[in-house]
Amino acid sequence: MIAVESLHKSYGEMVALEEVTFNVPKGEIFGFVGPNGAGKTTTIRILATLNAADSGEATIGGIPVHEAPAEVRNLIGYMPDFFGVYDRLTSAEYLEFYAACHGVPRRKRAAVARELLELVDLSDRRDTQVDTLSRGMKQRLGLARALVHDPLVLLLDEPASGLDPRARVEMKELIRELRRMGKTILISSHILPELEELCTWVGFIDGGRMAAAGPMAEVRDAVVSGRRLRISLADHSEGELTRAEELLRDHQGVLNVVRMHDHLEVAVSEAVIDDDLLALLVGRKVRVRSFAVIPGDLSEVFLRLTKDEMS
Amino acid sequence: MTPWRRFAEGLDNPIVVKEGVSRMRTWRAPVVATLYVALIGAVGFAWLTLGESGSQFSGGRPVAAVVGSQAFAAMAFFQLGLVCLFAPALAAGAISGERERQTLDVLLVSRVSAFGIVWGKLLASMAYILLLILASLPLFSAVFLFGGIDFSQFVFSQVVTISTALCLGAMAVFFSALFQRSLASTVTSYAAAFVLTVGTAILSLIVSTSQTFSRANAGGVANFQAAAEWYFNPFYALYNALFGTQATSTTLRGFLQLLFLGTPSTNNSSAATVDPWFICVIFEAILAIASVIGAVYLVRGRRVSRPRKLEPVDALEAG
Repeated sequence: MIAVESLHKSYGEMVALEEVTFNVPKGEIFGFVGPNGAGKTTTIRILATLNAADSGEATIGGIPVHEAPAEVRNLIGYMPDFFGVYDRLTSAEYLEFYAACHGVPRRKRAAVARELLELVDLSDRRDTQVDTLSRGMKQRLGLARALVHDPLVLLLDEPASGLDPRARVEMKELIRELRRMGKTILISSHILPELEELCTWVGFIDGGRMAAAGPMAEVRDAVVSGRRLRISLADHSEGELTRAEELLRDHQGVLNVVRMHDHLEVAVSEAVIDDDLLALLVGRKVRVRSFAVIPGDLSEVFLRLTKDEMS
Repeated sequence: MTPWRRFAEGLDNPIVVKEGVSRMRTWRAPVVATLYVALIGAVGFAWLTLGESGSQFSGGRPVAAVVGSQAFAAMAFFQLGLVCLFAPALAAGAISGERERQTLDVLLVSRVSAFGIVWGKLLASMAYILLLILASLPLFSAVFLFGGIDFSQFVFSQVVTISTALCLGAMAVFFSALFQRSLASTVTSYAAAFVLTVGTAILSLIVSTSQTFSRANAGGVANFQAAAEWYFNPFYALYNALFGTQATSTTLRGFLQLLFLGTPSTNNSSAATVDPWFICVIFEAILAIASVIGAVYLVRGRRVSRPRKLEPVDALEAG
């Protein structure tokens, strides 16, 4: 349904995308993963007909984005990473306005708005002014807005950013429901555990290049051969975490160290012996509270791939 | 799509409806309309009172027609001044405001064309100005009771006011498409309004004075002749619409001669004459159309458009 082939895009001297290639089959949820500035938003904007690629081709439903943008706009629903709402419009009026912008006949607009508000569980906010809604409600309304013309493909750029845990769960359920309705969904996010639960396909991008793309299980099996460790310290002050991080980074076989709120996540090669790492920390008077192996997940794939790209 | 269908769709623009609904829900909309009408009414009332007392002071009876026409002119000039202040303010945030609110991208991914966005924004801003002008019409019609103003003067003065609003609004929409921030587009829109109203007047005076001195130095007649730039000034156009005489009219050839050569035309009574207010309206219409085209071009540049069909390579090689 979505096919991207050798996409290239530069902004002056800066190369934003380089040979980006991936496919998303019909009815799948594609998780588009990458650090900030990796090229996710640029790719999505090209698919949404907002930017033109310098070279390469992107098609949606077999229609080239660059050659028939108006036709592509009928096929896609786009939700940007940041979007505003209009003041002094109710939720129903907001959806009816965008339905009109997408050419939905006048007699159907009210019904479309009612059904979509029901879908995103905002029926009771029908007459509430959109600028007074909470962030989570605005995100759900934004998703409803992307659906006003019943598109086949949804392009969702960081739809869960800034949401509280409850709103994230609701958003996730909503996206699953949309898949059941037959939509093909491309979703970019930083929240990897959630993407792992949600997505059937995944693509990793870093520095404007695709590191891997394909069905979730295939990509994970192909990439993950090492392990990840979770190390908690008794003293998780800034200075102690930095000291432990530096010690671990200098150790042979350590692929990457990510500092979390109160612990470290360490990606290591298969050759590394866990006892050696623990002994290293204890020997340097780092008080270790817990030391555990994390089961393989999307975060690990991400760490491996981005590490590979950097090296 | 037939031109009629395109025109009908142009009027059924969702942006106009949305802007209208959200604008009229603020407390500002009725307050501004009330103030607008109250201020014009106050100017008219003051002029009528002054005209009457002035006549009494000089010992004569007030001549209703003279007082009426002067009150009408005062209100019309005041209204034009208000329109010059309001039009840029209403339209300067049209596109840049969408950018600042982060709603433009979502609009660009819809089926609304770049022209639809620009036209919708302009129409929405102008609809409010038209509402203000309509709201003040009863005041103008009240002055008819005094006489001194005929219907054509009334219509021409309103045409000048509306065309000035449209021109300043279109330029403001263009600047809002050009600049990222509404502050920059507002400042530039007011600068453009200043150039059109005050700038053309100053330029005209400078050019006219310099030409008068030149003619005097060359031994010619040193009578003062308005420069062509004066014809682009909406206040002069309004003055002409209200108090124009055959003497102020010019032929098209005479106007072009004045514009490009700076020399007044010789009187050619056989040629059709054009009133200065009409020249101003045409000039403002050209500026408005150019501004809309420019704004459409800028908005279109923010999304991918269908590429122009290229000629096949064979055809190019054959050519």
